[in-house]
Amino acid sequence: MAEPETNRAASSETGGVFGETIGFFTSVKTTIAVLFLLAAASVIGTLIPQEAGLAELKATSSPFLYRLIILLDLHQLYRSWWFLLLLVLLSINLLACLLKKARNIPADWKGKDSQVSFRMNMEDGRPPSEVKKLLAEQLNPFLGGKPKESSSREAISLTWVKHRVHLLGFPLIHTAIIVILLGGLTGIVYGYRGYLSIKEGEEADRFVIKSGGTGTLPFTVAVDEFTLTRYPTGEPKEYRSNVRLLEDGREVHKGPIVVNSPMTYRSISLYQSDYRAVGVKWVKLALSGPDGVVEEFLIRPFQTVPLPGTSEQIRLHSLDPGSSTRGQGVEMTATGPDGESRRVEVFKNDPNPTDVGGRKLGFLGYQTLYATGLQVGYDPGTPLVWWGSGLLVAGFLLTLFTNHRRLAVEIKKEKGRTTVQISGRSRRLRQEFRQAVQEKVRLALGESGKGPRTGQGL
Amino acid sequence: MTSLSLNSFVTFGYLGVFVVALLAQAVGGGNLWLRRVVWAALILVWGVHTASIGLRWVESYQMGIGHAPLSNLYESLVFFAWAIGLALIIAHYRFRAGVILLLGLPMTVLVMAYTSLLDPEIKPLIPALQSNWLVAHVITCFLGYAGFAVSFVAAILLLLANSSSSAAKHLPATRVLDEIIYKSVLVALPMLTLGIVTGAAWADYAWGSYWSWDPKETWSLITWLVYSAFLHARLARGWSGSRAAMLSVIGFGAVMFTYFGVNYLPGLHSYF
Ligand code: HEM
Repeated sequence: MAEPETNRAASSETGGVFGETIGFFTSVKTTIAVLFLLAAASVIGTLIPQEAGLAELKATSSPFLYRLIILLDLHQLYRSWWFLLLLVLLSINLLACLLKKARNIPADWKGKDSQVSFRMNMEDGRPPSEVKKLLAEQLNPFLGGKPKESSSREAISLTWVKHRVHLLGFPLIHTAIIVILLGGLTGIVYGYRGYLSIKEGEEADRFVIKSGGTGTLPFTVAVDEFTLTRYPTGEPKEYRSNVRLLEDGREVHKGPIVVNSPMTYRSISLYQSDYRAVGVKWVKLALSGPDGVVEEFLIRPFQTVPLPGTSEQIRLHSLDPGSSTRGQGVEMTATGPDGESRRVEVFKNDPNPTDVGGRKLGFLGYQTLYATGLQVGYDPGTPLVWWGSGLLVAGFLLTLFTNHRRLAVEIKKEKGRTTVQISGRSRRLRQEFRQAVQEKVRLALGESGKGPRTGQGL
Repeated sequence: MTSLSLNSFVTFGYLGVFVVALLAQAVGGGNLWLRRVVWAALILVWGVHTASIGLRWVESYQMGIGHAPLSNLYESLVFFAWAIGLALIIAHYRFRAGVILLLGLPMTVLVMAYTSLLDPEIKPLIPALQSNWLVAHVITCFLGYAGFAVSFVAAILLLLANSSSSAAKHLPATRVLDEIIYKSVLVALPMLTLGIVTGAAWADYAWGSYWSWDPKETWSLITWLVYSAFLHARLARGWSGSRAAMLSVIGFGAVMFTYFGVNYLPGLHSYF
């Protein structure tokens, strides 16, 4: 990366209002101001609750602050008109800068740019061809290759260029930011986010949009099962929803949705967000007959089913997860063949099992019925953001780990002596480059060749 | 030997290196022997620090809940101190400016001392944190923060040197300090950029949105904006010396707020 250089032409040659406008948009001063304004705005956005209810804000802020908040959209700052304006300004600034600087890149690429970071002039007694050979011997290995050479009758010019890809760093970084901003804009305009909660065994396609209102998915989400596994310590390890996606009643996609592993179908992503216990899926009872044989019996809530081995119908009403010393238990209705109904309670810790139609009932356990909370996300701008991020990182790596260097040597015959003019440019480590070149030249031509006559660094 | 006992050694180790560095400074820059001791001790303590992080990783696997030791405030602070140590070593090696240790080491000592107030228990990862993006995110962010810390230290020294000529006599040339301020940001900003990008990838992966203006996210963006402004002021406007140093100090203020201040604001990152 470059330390400031002085001799690039002044920013705008065109005068007048037009020139000044162009100047404003291409100026790095503007960039610095906009970056600071964006930073300051973001600070405010973290201090004032965002997307909070206005009533709440009114209650907690002074009247003046409240009016200011309404006036400047401070409660939804990141999508306020002036914040977006700042981003637009940054984009124009970036584009203008890019266009301005991009013009120089082809010339730089070919090694024809006029900028130099240092110059050296010297004289030598040996003929130009020999001076050239001596210099090339030292400089070729140092600069990693042979120079481009052009000779005329009176002069030989040699040009070495190294790490040209460094030149791509600037356009990559600055284009990347534009691409990311475009991606963000695409998301704001065309994307949505929402939430839906579905009970196990049920399906839904309507969801609540985060910014207000409801939406309908182009498919139906059917939740077969939700499972919650825990670490031995009791902390949650995994939430998993097994879902099927249906289009016109046909299954089009199937699989689990786990935290950190969303399901994506038709660019719409479903994410595991949270869960609620909404009821009881089934209760497991032990049935023992007069012969002492025990069988397990699963009963689901609110279904009237015959109790095996008896002529009774049984219906589950409620479950007690263990609120008393009787432990977990259920409350049911049993209906005999005569149509008489009676209440039946079965609790885990009851000393005497309950008798229904000649069989004894014991409580074994139950399974919670969950509703899984899924987030819906659709953001067609995301790929642009990832492309932009990739370019940005690539650009940063290029500017950091490569260093564009150019060294031009002109050897002339003048009044019987050979003059050597060396000019060099380095984007980074300028001092080091200059010292290294001086050393190589000294090694090539020796101190005797009247040494560097001038060696001013710019 | 547990990673915990290693960590208390590390805390006092950095303190010890600091005391010797102070001594070396007081005796004068010419004392080569003392400076070598400082250098060797720093490498040693930092090596133990590295081992302690590795050991904690192993311990988590032995407990059957293996994960990179970057999952809560305690672990991330230990890593932060480690990253500052690394940045100090690199800066010291590259610029031969021992004084940056005098300000940098107290930072590592403070951060390590702070960890001793926190719950160091190795806990299993909650579902939202089970991701390799998280590991990449935390590592790159903290390497970036460490670079900014070195820049900050040099900036404070430069401001000190510019405000008092008697202090300047004991400090490296302002040209060197200026160089450290700038070069550290040059390395740290790409790291922070990677940190923000991997963080966005993680958020997209886990929460379905790459950016949600959560306070911690926003503050890391603020930090990024300030250092981007710093870079442009320096590269294209030629800012250097006290003005650039002030920007570096402001930037580090944003880093600190991202890390410590934000926990007083609500948001997704409340695990850390
Ligand atoms: C948030 C947005 C921006 C970021 C992240 C950014 C990043 C960078 C980086 C990393 C560099 C160093 C690259 C190098 O040395 O090759 C740089 C240099 C530069 N940027 Fe930006 N930039 C941004 C916006 C802008 C804008 C809007 C302008 C337009 C005025 C601009 C103008 C420049 C200039 C003139 C340089 C100096 C290049 C040089 O001297 O080599 N930047 N920028």
